[in-house]
Amino acid sequence: MKPEIPKVLEILAGKLLFDVAPHVSPAYRQSSVGVSAMLLGIVREEWDRAAARRIEENAALRALFRRAAPVVTDTDLRRRLEAAAASSDASFLVSELERANDALRALLIELHAQVEQEPSASARELEAAIWRELVASTERRKLAIAPF
Amino acid sequence: MHELAPRIAAYVQRRLPLAEAIEVFDVERIHGGASRETYRFRLRYRDGAQTIERRLILRRDPPGSLIETDRANEFAAYRAFHGTAVPVPEALWLEDDPSHLDYPFFVMEELSGLDASPQNILSPPYAAHHEKLALQKWSILGAIAQADPKKLGLVGIMKLVDPVDAWRRELDYWTGVIDEDELAPQPIMRAAIRFLRRNPPPAPARLHVVHGDYRTGNFLYDKEGNVRGILDWEMAHLGDPLEDLAWSLNRVWCWARDGRVGGLTSKERAIRIWEDASRLRADPEALRWWELFSSVKGQAIWLSSAREYQNGKNQDPVLALSGWWLMNAQDRAALETLGKLG
Repeated sequence: MKPEIPKVLEILAGKLLFDVAPHVSPAYRQSSVGVSAMLLGIVREEWDRAAARRIEENAALRALFRRAAPVVTDTDLRRRLEAAAASSDASFLVSELERANDALRALLIELHAQVEQEPSASARELEAAIWRELVASTERRKLAIAPF
Repeated sequence: MHELAPRIAAYVQRRLPLAEAIEVFDVERIHGGASRETYRFRLRYRDGAQTIERRLILRRDPPGSLIETDRANEFAAYRAFHGTAVPVPEALWLEDDPSHLDYPFFVMEELSGLDASPQNILSPPYAAHHEKLALQKWSILGAIAQADPKKLGLVGIMKLVDPVDAWRRELDYWTGVIDEDELAPQPIMRAAIRFLRRNPPPAPARLHVVHGDYRTGNFLYDKEGNVRGILDWEMAHLGDPLEDLAWSLNRVWCWARDGRVGGLTSKERAIRIWEDASRLRADPEALRWWELFSSVKGQAIWLSSAREYQNGKNQDPVLALSGWWLMNAQDRAALETLGKLG
């Protein structure tokens, strides 16, 4: 689409912030216009990476489950890890990728809780790998305006 | 004229039956936290030969609320601390009957001519007073911790808990909020909750008043660097004072994005000031527990705000912003407290 979507959002946010907001009263409504401009700024940042970060994360989680399955002693969980590891993203629509991501992250919670209980050295290594993935997940979601 | 003006005037007449010529004017909605609708207004009336004019604040329950809170607790906290070392506006009337203004509400004094913005405090003329503001901010928090809830008349209004179970009550409550309101799985918060349950903190020696949302953004300050009013007591309760200290240190309030807590000072200095004022010791391991808890509580609030907005219950854009802006930062804060961020 031309003009490009991030450019449109950038201009709209600027118009709201500098052209519209100063003329809005009362202060509560003016502040809401400013907040709406900030939201557009976040959408602009997210737009380009939305599919990419979900595809990357879904692949990372499937790889983690592939590695985890032999370590996990719970047979039902192992079976579900193997199934998830063998799955793939059939569609690159953000909504579809998000649905898959939600399912994978729900399984990650179960895996993490289970691995914490397992005493083996391989479980500790797997736990460290889970934490690395959780840290990576926050790097993928970082926003320019975030306080931290 | 704002549609609330005549209705507020009618209410004031019931509260002040001897007042004459009651006028309510300059009613304006302001940002005052997402948990209640906040309006400022001016009240003028005649009392005998005297004309009285006051600037007041109305805090009204909204149709959708970011935090399900007990307005009686908030009102009681304002009443209890008024006139003490903890500066608060005078609370006037608490009204549970929704027939007057559609929803329950309370009215309090407006402390006018002051700022509360966590962004403005970073710039002149306030920036020159950060250390002074920090000293006052954490000294006042120490005074809240030092206060005796029984002498303040808060026992009976705020729910009692065995000090041994103070952590559990809070963790259960906020975990329940996450269970109810999450729109997507939260692997970092779930891991944090498991850690907190496996490693409970030591119990406080007694119950203390906990403000519940003590941070830059919830106090009024002046241009000379004085903290003039502590606001937003809607999550006030009895519990462990380290809960408040930890919440004030939460990484998501590092508004200057440079590690200074509350945008004001180093974490170490904030803790020292609080210890001096409260005459309590912030045991590092216990404080770490409460810091991780504050990430869980924060995330629960951001998740609630996201759900409120998505459900259409409350479409104030600030609810969407807090979800987008703070959720990932809160996850990173939890990872940092757990020592996983590197």
